[in-house]
Amino acid sequence: MKAFLIAVVAAVVLATGASFLLAENQRFAYQAFATSGARVSDPGTNLVGPRWTGDIKEPGKAGHKAEAGS
Amino acid sequence: MPMRRLTSLFLLAATLALTVPAVAQVRAPDGAPNPTASSVNEEMLFKQDPKIHGRISIPNATAANLIQPQGREWREFRESWMPWIGALAVLGMIVALGLFYFTRGRIRLEHSEESGKKILRFNSFERFSHWMTATCFIVLSLSGLNYIFGKRLLMPLIGPEAFATLAQYGKYAHIYLAWPFMLGVLFMLVLWIKDNIPGKIDWIWLKQGGGLLGDAHPSAGRFNAGQKMVFWMVVGFGFAMGATGIMMIFPFAATDINGMQIMQVIHSLIGVVFIAGILAHIYIGSLGMEGAYDAMGSGEVDLAWAKVHHDLWVKEQQAKTASGPQLGRGQVPAE
Repeated sequence: MKAFLIAVVAAVVLATGASFLLAENQRFAYQAFATSGARVSDPGTNLVGPRWTGDIKEPGKAGHKAEAGS
Repeated sequence: MPMRRLTSLFLLAATLALTVPAVAQVRAPDGAPNPTASSVNEEMLFKQDPKIHGRISIPNATAANLIQPQGREWREFRESWMPWIGALAVLGMIVALGLFYFTRGRIRLEHSEESGKKILRFNSFERFSHWMTATCFIVLSLSGLNYIFGKRLLMPLIGPEAFATLAQYGKYAHIYLAWPFMLGVLFMLVLWIKDNIPGKIDWIWLKQGGGLLGDAHPSAGRFNAGQKMVFWMVVGFGFAMGATGIMMIFPFAATDINGMQIMQVIHSLIGVVFIAGILAHIYIGSLGMEGAYDAMGSGEVDLAWAKVHHDLWVKEQQAKTASGPQLGRGQVPAE
């Protein structure tokens, strides 16, 4: 009975370990099959700003909204 | 001028005469115009290549396949043949074992003056390896059968939502418990290969029906021919299931779409035969033979039982000293 219980525990532990190892080697399809064609860069320096509001300044310093085309 | 016009008319008539048969060729049999008659069709494409595929810009090369005709045969096998093959193998074995039980009955322990004395048959690590492999096998079998029969038998009973959850967890169990199972098979191979080499004694055992069909008890070493067959089945099928399973856990890593389908076919066919074989093993190790379960339960068997079923092994053990390594603390020597 002891050998059986240890065997069941060992199977669960090994299976859990396998799940972590397999997860390490897995990526989501959007990561594995993405290209550089649709990559979003650092939001602080792009056109939409950190909050995607169009204001390119830091949220704390954002006293005024950037004028489009200025 | 009339001469030039006449020449032009002649050339026009000649051109029309040559082109009319060509126009007639692209008409359908009923005479209706058929502009696609001479275009490229599926049959022509398959003469060029076994698959129809194109070019894609994403890094997933397998997505370039548009049509793979062999996939239809695989689907036909998986959806039509496989459930019947699986049912025949598993239910056939259950019916055969039931018939055997009701005709032959349970093989009883023969009592003698040595009854009650114990001899160690499997040590702790051997029992650990057996039970780790066995518990994984049971979960792998049930979750594997769910791939074939779940949507047909279980889903109508419990509903699609419950079945989806169960199948999801069954899939996790199948993928993750496969690893301790493969390790267990490897352990058992190393532990027992030396006692499972076929010999002349096995042929004699088989010719006498292994004591299953009559009252005779043919001689056997640590493992008889039937147990050796189970051992080699577990090792052979275990490795085959492991290899084909790994190919499916890492899809397209080592083979293409045709290879993936072949792996699935091999995995499922061996799987149902494996289940049927292990059902027979479970039967003879528990219900079918009195005293047999103790070998893997406590590790110790009745000396009288051991002498009847594994006489050569008992002699071998007794030839060693009574305080030999096969005896654990508090055990009665076999002598």
